[in-house]
Amino acid sequence: MIESAQVQNILWAANVSLGLILALLLIVRRDYRVYPAFSSYVLVNLIQALLLFLGTYRWGLSTFALWLMGSLTQSIVLIARALAVAEICCRLLSRYSGVWALARRVLLLLAGIVFSYSILLARHDWRLVFQSAHRAMELSIASIIVTLLIFVRHYDVETSPTDRALAIGFCLYSCFAVLNITLLERFLDDYADLWNLLGAFAFLGSLSLWTWTLRKPQSRTEPRQILLPSGVYQSLTPEINLRLRLLNEQLSRFWPAEANHS
Amino acid sequence: MSPFFYFFFGFVAVLLALLFWSLLSPKKNAHSSLDAAAFQGSDRRHVTYLSQIHRALAPADSEFVASHGSVKLAHRVRKERRRVALLYLSSVQDDFQKLLKLAGVIAVLSPEVGAVQEFERLWLSLQFSLRCQMIRIRLHCGFAALHELSGLSRMVSGFAVRMETAIAELGERAALATELTSSLDSRGVRPR
Repeated sequence: MIESAQVQNILWAANVSLGLILALLLIVRRDYRVYPAFSSYVLVNLIQALLLFLGTYRWGLSTFALWLMGSLTQSIVLIARALAVAEICCRLLSRYSGVWALARRVLLLLAGIVFSYSILLARHDWRLVFQSAHRAMELSIASIIVTLLIFVRHYDVETSPTDRALAIGFCLYSCFAVLNITLLERFLDDYADLWNLLGAFAFLGSLSLWTWTLRKPQSRTEPRQILLPSGVYQSLTPEINLRLRLLNEQLSRFWPAEANHS
Repeated sequence: MSPFFYFFFGFVAVLLALLFWSLLSPKKNAHSSLDAAAFQGSDRRHVTYLSQIHRALAPADSEFVASHGSVKLAHRVRKERRRVALLYLSSVQDDFQKLLKLAGVIAVLSPEVGAVQEFERLWLSLQFSLRCQMIRIRLHCGFAALHELSGLSRMVSGFAVRMETAIAELGERAALATELTSSLDSRGVRPR
């Protein structure tokens, strides 16, 4: 029977190997020029894995020094992830300057609200300070990506499958991290081993998705978007909205009448 | 167990559901596609069949069938009319979707958009879809009487005229139509 520690080691090795393959793909195909923040994130992850390996070797597991190093490196990884997500948001919508300006405001506001609310709801235990901040960050990232994809769908914007796959990978990993940290907060030490294991497994899933998506080289040049003159929106949109409102009002008049008759 | 514990699970469940929904391709409807004809007052629009539908839904007909024909025939006529009403409701939705799509394309291709206008449109589209679904469910369940369907027909005629005028007005802006159509082509928005 394979022990939990062995499974963890296997998963760790698989994550590092896949991370290396992904980094190599990004370098060899020169896709780091297309995704600089994402490439940095992959690199930072590999450096963190190396540092944790050396730390474990030097101080051993369950030591304060290793916990501190893990927390510090994880903070850097989280910042790198946030930047990579910002890069994807930018790639998905920035060609459409009007919608992008609106989306940026909405996404920033949403991220701020979700982050603050998650911090307020966290258990106030000093051992979990870092995990609570981590969860708040992951929840904000997941909310941003979902809202971004809703924007993309709402405006029927054309997107590259790679950008979408990268966004999905981040979102799924963030959602999983939120659940994992919430369980850790509830069960603490009893859950610690499983927490590590599931976290590594979820990251392996995201890495696999990204590696598969980036197996082909990405084109750097985006087709230029021709925009309408600025007056068109101001003159036509209120008119269209008025017609939509009238249509809606007519329908609402029908609905109560029908309800009263039945 | 703390309610906050469940909050995070609920939040993630909602996020995953929204993620799944946002990745589904929007329903492609032949009638709701935005094309050059939408700017040129095409006579293929649903509202041109209004008088026929209005006649088909007239209560006098159903009363006549009920009094002179068999129960089976009356039932069949009611069923057919319900089908017509449902089709008509779909066409109303198509008209709404067409306008929504036009507004969406203009927003995407504009260097500046207004948050109020955009959120108003989102809110209107949510309300409209919900209302249409409610009416559709009631029609399916047979709760709506035929004279009420006739009311729907009259209601449609009111806005249909306004829609015709609106789209014709947009069509008059030939330069804009050309510009929009070429932009749609360059964006790959399926022109029909």
